[in-house]
Amino acid sequence: MKNRIISRDELAQLIDRLVERVDVYAPVREKNGANWGKVGSANEIYLEAVNTHEPAKGFLFPRCEMILKFDQSGNAVEPGLPQEQVVFGIRPCDARALMVLERFFTSEGKTDPYVQARLEKMTIIGVACNRTAPACFCLALGNSPHSSEGMDVLLTDLGDVFLAEPRSEKGEKLIAGLAEAEVKHLERRTELKERVESEITGRIDTTRLKENLPKMFDDPVWERLSLPCINCGACTFLCPTCHCFDVTDETVRGNSARYRVWDSCQFALYSRHASGHNPRFNPAFRYRNRVMDKFYYTTEQMGLISCVGCGRCITVCPAGIDIRQTVATLLSFIDSTER
Amino acid sequence: MNNPYIPIQMRIERVTVENDARDLKTFDLAFVNESDRENFKFIPGQFAFLSIPGVGEAPFGIASAPHEPVIKFTVKRVGVFTTALHEMEAGAGLGMRGPWGNSYPFEIMPGRDVVIVSGGFSFTTLRATIAHLLLPENRRNLGKITAIYGARSPGELLYKDEIRQWEQNPDLHLVLCVDRLNGGDWPQKEGLVPNVLREVGPKADNAVALVCGPPIMIKYTHPVLKELGFKPDQVYLSLENRMKCGIGKCGHCNIGPKYVCKDGPVFSYAQLLNLPAEY
Repeated sequence: MKNRIISRDELAQLIDRLVERVDVYAPVREKNGANWGKVGSANEIYLEAVNTHEPAKGFLFPRCEMILKFDQSGNAVEPGLPQEQVVFGIRPCDARALMVLERFFTSEGKTDPYVQARLEKMTIIGVACNRTAPACFCLALGNSPHSSEGMDVLLTDLGDVFLAEPRSEKGEKLIAGLAEAEVKHLERRTELKERVESEITGRIDTTRLKENLPKMFDDPVWERLSLPCINCGACTFLCPTCHCFDVTDETVRGNSARYRVWDSCQFALYSRHASGHNPRFNPAFRYRNRVMDKFYYTTEQMGLISCVGCGRCITVCPAGIDIRQTVATLLSFIDSTER
Repeated sequence: MNNPYIPIQMRIERVTVENDARDLKTFDLAFVNESDRENFKFIPGQFAFLSIPGVGEAPFGIASAPHEPVIKFTVKRVGVFTTALHEMEAGAGLGMRGPWGNSYPFEIMPGRDVVIVSGGFSFTTLRATIAHLLLPENRRNLGKITAIYGARSPGELLYKDEIRQWEQNPDLHLVLCVDRLNGGDWPQKEGLVPNVLREVGPKADNAVALVCGPPIMIKYTHPVLKELGFKPDQVYLSLENRMKCGIGKCGHCNIGPKYVCKDGPVFSYAQLLNLPAEY
């Protein structure tokens, strides 16, 4: 697959052509930065923010989604298939998160038909990060602000033009016909990559987590780590890889349908049995569940850490909990027990 | 598209009130479509979701054995869904999704004794298990079958007619017990399940124990099984956790990295020793 060069004008034209044919979602300007929006033209796209307020997981797994409706005799009927969509301007951390979700929903046990259907109808055009935010720590998770993992095309802003790297057949087709990239473009890209990577100061050491976390279920450290947590669940809703959902029925004017909506393991109701018994009655158990899930459970289930280092849970937490600090504290406890 | 969220159509054939408190009912369900009946293959220990349009759905252990003509569920009335279900009568339609989860470890039972320990209305999948094991083609491969089944009071025991027949069955050593007696005639044992288990004292050599009950019963049954010589890999427990999807996606039912719906609901005690006590 050939790397190509696309000018700003050509990119705008490409997007405007896409908009005529399919739904295009991209970062748009919002009060305090950027968030995802459906765009009617390339002019509306805003790439100046380091990342969008919300992650991109809603494109695969919407916040609220009908999973079936009931006909008049009570038979369950599948909802219509999703529309084709282009997700433009996704950052490498969020694209990796979509890959994590794809893996979770389609290759671990049963396939989720709705995520599968959306995947088939989705084109992902990412834009590399040339700047970082204070909470970014993707490097620590083996990712990079210039990674193309999980994308059809990765664009890198080289200043005057964008470098376009296709990563799938779909992506290759999309940029076919553009001028081929030259060595100077690739050199410029490497320069930018090295510079931005050096700017990421957020670091966590994940090497010793997998072997040590399983021994730490009953460690009193969880009480201390979770003490500031108010169980608001904001970290889970904004986490690009959190996938939990609740299922609920709704009836409007005699028409019933079943929906799934995002849920959070930080809520006490999440794990409460009908009998009232609750295996995670203590907020510390719930905080432990979230941290363990990201850094240990998914390594057992899928062989990967499911934190991508986007930093949203850090910036959004009203209690100031920093997952980098949590991991550092856990490591210091491991060290002190080993001593 | 093979969609695991779409329930198949069932019809209620019969509703039986099981207990004096009248909050436990057994629903015998028949398949509306012949093709669904052919495709629904299950093993005792598995569960399914029942679905009522506009109300919701909830998971229940399958209380019937595969050879029986109806699919049976025994449901306690506790919340919105189960209250709506309890209001339904024979002839009504409802949805079913499943079967989900693993089963009791029938593959390791031939040549061994089977000890069944159950308390309260969790007896459902163990009722299915007993019915399955008592089939001549299964029974002839097994050693002694001991079943200890307890409830709060005599009127709270499930499947009373069937239990009466099983008491006469020489192929099964059935021990019934109740937590306490408030007078009345009760020729069986009085006492909590773990204590009765100790008293009955089934041999651990070459035996498999299947346990299902409320968390408190499970907690006090373990030490007794250990006393009797059962090793962690000889004890199997059927667990319940809150769940929404049944296929390992919604997240709710996890015990550490395992999902009760997909990796369970039956776990060996040896497995559980390596997991947090989130059940």
